[in-house]
Amino acid sequence: MKAPLWRAFLRLFSVQGAWNYERMLGIGMGYAALPLLQKMRQQDPAGYREAVARQAEFFNAQPYLAGLALGATTRAEYQGVPGEKILRLRTALCGPLGALGDQLFWTGILPALVSTALVMVAFGLAGAGLLGFLVVFNGIRVAVEWWGLRAGWASGLEVSQVLHKSWLPKAVALAGPAAGFAMGVALPVIGGWLVADLDRVVMAGALGAAGIAVVMARVNPRVTGLRFTLVVATVILLSAWVGA
Amino acid sequence: MIDMPVEVVVALLGWGTLVGLDLVSLPQIMISRPIVVGAVAGWLSGDPATGVTVGVIMELFALESVAIGAARYPDYGAATVGAVVASTGIEGHGLTGIAVVLGLVLASVGGWTLNRLRHANATAVRRREASLRAGDPLAVEALQYGGLLRDVARSVTLSVVAILSGVAVRTAPALPDWAASGLLMVVIGGGLAGAASGAIRSAGRGRRLRWLGVGALLGVLLLVLRS
Repeated sequence: MKAPLWRAFLRLFSVQGAWNYERMLGIGMGYAALPLLQKMRQQDPAGYREAVARQAEFFNAQPYLAGLALGATTRAEYQGVPGEKILRLRTALCGPLGALGDQLFWTGILPALVSTALVMVAFGLAGAGLLGFLVVFNGIRVAVEWWGLRAGWASGLEVSQVLHKSWLPKAVALAGPAAGFAMGVALPVIGGWLVADLDRVVMAGALGAAGIAVVMARVNPRVTGLRFTLVVATVILLSAWVGA
Repeated sequence: MIDMPVEVVVALLGWGTLVGLDLVSLPQIMISRPIVVGAVAGWLSGDPATGVTVGVIMELFALESVAIGAARYPDYGAATVGAVVASTGIEGHGLTGIAVVLGLVLASVGGWTLNRLRHANATAVRRREASLRAGDPLAVEALQYGGLLRDVARSVTLSVVAILSGVAVRTAPALPDWAASGLLMVVIGGGLAGAASGAIRSAGRGRRLRWLGVGALLGVLLLVLRS
């Protein structure tokens, strides 16, 4: 079963390739499941088509952890588990895999590594910082994705217990503070680097604008840095064109 | 007229398309982060330093939003390519401000196109609903490849628009000094504010907030030691 597992693993890289508001990751999951269900195609053609239909149903989770659900549900298809039960397992996994994955990757490892790269840029190590970011992030991502697919495939219906006892909750608890720390270090360092060669008026203006925008975002979270910048920039550009 | 060699334009177009795909569809290896996009686009354009500077400012904005599932978020990939094209090869920071503003507009447009792509994918799914219910593997594959092709088309189009807008900004009449400086102030300030707001928001009130504070103290100390 190693070759189909590898093919499914490679297909997981495009699990969001047909992301849509109807089934979210469902089509990508169905696509990644096809190599794993190949053996079933010859043994039980009718069961195979039912399994394909189930695997392409609605599914949503953090994409790097989707393999855990993929492995578990496709293994359950071979174990003769009733279709209803497999669908319930799929649905039950959406929440935990989404929450754990988002906290681990999107609000943990990713901002921590991007912030580290920003600090390295400020210290004149842009090339090493960016390469290091890509290598470390993808090293972790590939390892987690492969672990998830294999753990899911090995455990089938028992996947929830495997997930509960795994290293994931502990890693999530570490990733958040690490990201907070790294972002805390990066902001003053990269801010200093950006304004270092500007004249004093522009430097003061940039830091003043940052202060005003942070206060406005605290008062009204809808005033993001992007919106603040676009509004003020529009006023500046209109003034410049009117003046010209 | 595009004032860049054809091979550079083609390379930037290819790079913009790759990073557009990387954001969501394939392979999500984070080459779509603005700091990476900017550095590579700058290197392709023969001005890596400007590419890194523009990429860093765009990255600060990107750190404010989390690109999660169904959430709507800007697409900073091709947008950063456009911003680099707008500012590359120019001495000093004369065009950095307007270039980043262009990048932010393009990123917002890119986010809108992502939303349209998801609706188009949903329409394709509805068309093949019967085949999907029947468990037809060919229907699953056709939908997957169709989604990827639509994203390729979206990313190519965004990259073309980004490169052309970048060239237009670079060749447009120069802004008065006060306006160029004002834009530079606001993009740096807005970017720092965006990243800071994102960091504070995701820190909540627990342990992460304390570590953010400790990190900020260390960051200020490093800044003081360097100056």
